[in-house]
Amino acid sequence: MGGTTTAVRQTGVRTMQGATSGTSGMRRWLDRQFARIAVLPTTAMMVLIFGIPLLFSLYLSFEGWSPDEALFSGAFAGTANYEDLLTDPQFLKSLSVTFIYTATTVATELAGGLGIALLLNIDLPWIGLFRTALVVPMMITPIVAALCWKLLLDPDHGVVNYWIGSHIVWLGRPDTALISVMVVNLWQNAPYVAVLLLAGLRSLPSEPVEAASIDGASRLQVFWHITLPLLKPYILVALLLRTIFEFRAFDNIYVMTSGGPANATMTLSMFTYLASFVRFDLSLGAAASWLMLLMCLLLCLFFIAVIRRREAN
Amino acid sequence: MNALSGVGSRRSKLVFAGSIYLALIAMTAVFLFPLLWVIGLSLKTRLQVFATPPLFIWWPTLENYVGVLSQADFLQAFVNSLVVSSGAVILSICVGVPAAYAFARFPFRGGSFLFFSLLVMRMLPPIAVLVPMYILFSKLGITTTRFSVILAYSTFSLPLVVWIMRGFFEDLPRELEESAWVDGASRYAAFRHVVLPLIRPGLVAASILSLQLAWNDFLFSAVLTNNATRTLPVLMAGFSGGDTGVDWGGMTASGVLVILPVLIFSFAAQRHLVAGLSSGAVKG
Amino acid sequence: MTTLKRRALLGASMATLAAPQIMAQSKPEKLVYVGDNGPWHWVMVEEVAPAFEKATGIKIDFTLLPVDPWRARLRAELGAGSAGIDVVQWSVGMAGWISPHMEDHEPLLAQMKSRHADFDWDDYLTGTKKAATYDGKLSGIPYRITTGIFHYQKALLEQAGFSQPPGTWDEFLKVALAVNKPPDRYAFGIFGRQGAGMFVGFNPWLYSNGGRLLDFKTGEIFINDAKGVEALQFYADLVTKYKVVPPEAMTWEFDEIVAGGQSDRYAMVQMFAPYGTLINDPKISKTGGKWAWTTVPGPHAKAEGRTWIDGHSLGVPKYTRNKEWSLEFIQMACSRQWQKRAMERGNAPPLRSVLEDPDMIEKIGWPPVAAQAIETGFPTPAYPVWDTLEIQLRSTLSQTLFGQKTAKQALDDLAGDWQRSLRRAGIGR
Repeated sequence: MGGTTTAVRQTGVRTMQGATSGTSGMRRWLDRQFARIAVLPTTAMMVLIFGIPLLFSLYLSFEGWSPDEALFSGAFAGTANYEDLLTDPQFLKSLSVTFIYTATTVATELAGGLGIALLLNIDLPWIGLFRTALVVPMMITPIVAALCWKLLLDPDHGVVNYWIGSHIVWLGRPDTALISVMVVNLWQNAPYVAVLLLAGLRSLPSEPVEAASIDGASRLQVFWHITLPLLKPYILVALLLRTIFEFRAFDNIYVMTSGGPANATMTLSMFTYLASFVRFDLSLGAAASWLMLLMCLLLCLFFIAVIRRREAN
Repeated sequence: MNALSGVGSRRSKLVFAGSIYLALIAMTAVFLFPLLWVIGLSLKTRLQVFATPPLFIWWPTLENYVGVLSQADFLQAFVNSLVVSSGAVILSICVGVPAAYAFARFPFRGGSFLFFSLLVMRMLPPIAVLVPMYILFSKLGITTTRFSVILAYSTFSLPLVVWIMRGFFEDLPRELEESAWVDGASRYAAFRHVVLPLIRPGLVAASILSLQLAWNDFLFSAVLTNNATRTLPVLMAGFSGGDTGVDWGGMTASGVLVILPVLIFSFAAQRHLVAGLSSGAVKG
Repeated sequence: MTTLKRRALLGASMATLAAPQIMAQSKPEKLVYVGDNGPWHWVMVEEVAPAFEKATGIKIDFTLLPVDPWRARLRAELGAGSAGIDVVQWSVGMAGWISPHMEDHEPLLAQMKSRHADFDWDDYLTGTKKAATYDGKLSGIPYRITTGIFHYQKALLEQAGFSQPPGTWDEFLKVALAVNKPPDRYAFGIFGRQGAGMFVGFNPWLYSNGGRLLDFKTGEIFINDAKGVEALQFYADLVTKYKVVPPEAMTWEFDEIVAGGQSDRYAMVQMFAPYGTLINDPKISKTGGKWAWTTVPGPHAKAEGRTWIDGHSLGVPKYTRNKEWSLEFIQMACSRQWQKRAMERGNAPPLRSVLEDPDMIEKIGWPPVAAQAIETGFPTPAYPVWDTLEIQLRSTLSQTLFGQKTAKQALDDLAGDWQRSLRRAGIGR
């Protein structure tokens, strides 16, 4: 390793000779500004595709709505949009659906993902094959996955009902519809969590486990008292990542139920989509977006605080 | 951690290994079955698809694939998907990698705020920026172009690239550039000639992950494209919501063709993929 | 056979475009058409546009989008006054916000008549003209006009002892209970998915019963009056009490209800008239050849049956620079010959002469029933606030179909939601 780095450094230095001759004040100044210049394009892009739209949406969320008028013509409406939102039963329902959906999917993904990761962490011949196979569901385009599951869950010709020997209309009942969209999600993302946690497991030091085994601890004890605490940071990261992504669930729901039946799968994203693109109530949609954004922001802050604390330790 | 190193007889070791294999096979079956079944459906004729009980053994037909591939629509969407996904990745890499390096090496005023904003951008529900972005793009007159989709995709691929690459840059020993600086190289030259060649694995990982995200996106391109520029997921979504009755064969065949490139690609680069996932996720 | 016919059509349309020199406008390279991606465009995309290009050298650039992006696209582009769209396809429910952006088509009609002697505005059914008009302004030429009619499998009803299709709700219920054979085949299919199909599934019951939605000018709400509650209760009881609806109908929108008919899941259904072609075609349908059609039943007499009118018009926007050519294309697509051809491939034309063409009746069957329904039907509300109200109605209907609320309770709640939305939209203050 040492040999290669030296070699690289030498070639690097050689190629730089030309660039450094004729150093001027200007050039030194530019060099000091390296970091700023390096982040300049990124900053510009962020402002363009993120900053401006967000500010615009903030503006919209305080603008009055009139369904047949053009944009920018509504008057300042104060917090009316937010008030309308918080008294809209469908929005309130979507809050609770999103909460239930997020909590359930994240919990099951973590539990499932951890189980899979532990299995895959055992060194056996051919284990690589299983590790590879597992990556498949998480790579699949969510729209395609949802469409496929719709066929699997078809009440008449679906293979799921054939095997259970039942005639359940999975997507046509409020209770089973929510479970069905969750299952699709679980199928795609439990492997994602597993891959993250497996990476964590592989990077854990082996000494504590070996020491405990020698001391006569059972497998379960080792897992509970040693592996799990060591793995905690990875679990935390997976938890936060998944929470943030499940919170915005859209694709599978759009394809499978579009929010129904009886609002059983009406997530916040679905509600916002309907408000903006079907009702054309852009002000209400913007207000809903901003509430979602603030909730996400809180999650992010929490996420970053946790990571900072871990880095400090 | 070697699980087979525990105490116990040879026999109990064998039983243990056997049960682990059993569990692994069961698990893989559960996770792969839906996909295999769908691939099976795509190889059935219309009659076979709707046979009751479902057929488990049949003579496969390629008629669905022939049907899909002979549609100009599908090929056009395939090209579009390819163009916008790789466009977004290239743009994000070019723009994001220098920034990631700066974040990793040179603490500067406003840097942490900027990095935090990038994180927020990554976390943000896409639906929240979709409407204003759409309006902005139509003011700029670029809606329905592939370029607008590339820009939109940068909302997730740019932060991802910066995030992952920062992790890789931090792992790189500092001494390398420092000695280059001592030798009189400018920061730009050191970055270009010393650092960049060393982080190729990181670039691969970041590219794959953002390529996968871009390839799979539905929401942005559903709103921002037209017939000529729509991507594969948008075309796929058209399989539900029409009014001709559902064509399972065509739908499953196109579905398989949509996911095939990502699957091949991710198998080919699986090692990098895992590295990217864990670097991006765990390093914060 | 088809090729021969197509060639004849091509010749005819060339003739109708024989005088391009009179066009004052310079010839554009292409015309941009923005519409939805429904499969009824086949003839327009695959046959009319090539014929138009052959005759004029102008390519038609189709932008056919899923419903939501299509509406968003039109709203944004027209709202910005963009000249990027030459032909706008819009549906009845969009008339309110789209009509200010469209040319007044009344004078354009005269222009079309002067150029093409065979263009006959009187041939359009009255209901279709209503559907293309908002606030007294004709904003497009009807191209596809759909309506809800009653499709039934004649032999099944006869086997159960009914020689006539049901004319009243009582009769309907009797027939439904008699032909209901769960789990193999149920009596009645509905649009049960909480989505775009829901409203058209319910509103014939509402309208036939004399129920009304609301007054869009004053903001007065009628949906929860006795008529409305009765209609919804009857509709929901079919599902919850009498169980004559297939359980999977709760996932049905357009595709699925057609597939349900094709796989013999129901004996009767109220849905889009042109779907009759799709379920009655033996090549793609198990029930092909078994269907007959009539207008929807009324509560006490057949004559009370009322249904909805929806569909699409083609219009010239104010901002295009190629008005004359856009109009030329619209005229061609709407011409009698091409509409006849389009109907064979699943379109529902607004022209009486096409709908009542004996060949067509022989071949397709449902057109005269559709023509009859259109004459008395109500167009989908076109006031812009309806989009919001409809979303709320969907959720109400879905809840009632699952028995989560009684009809009365559900509609009272809905009236409250509507009240808030109307206030928000500034109506009825």
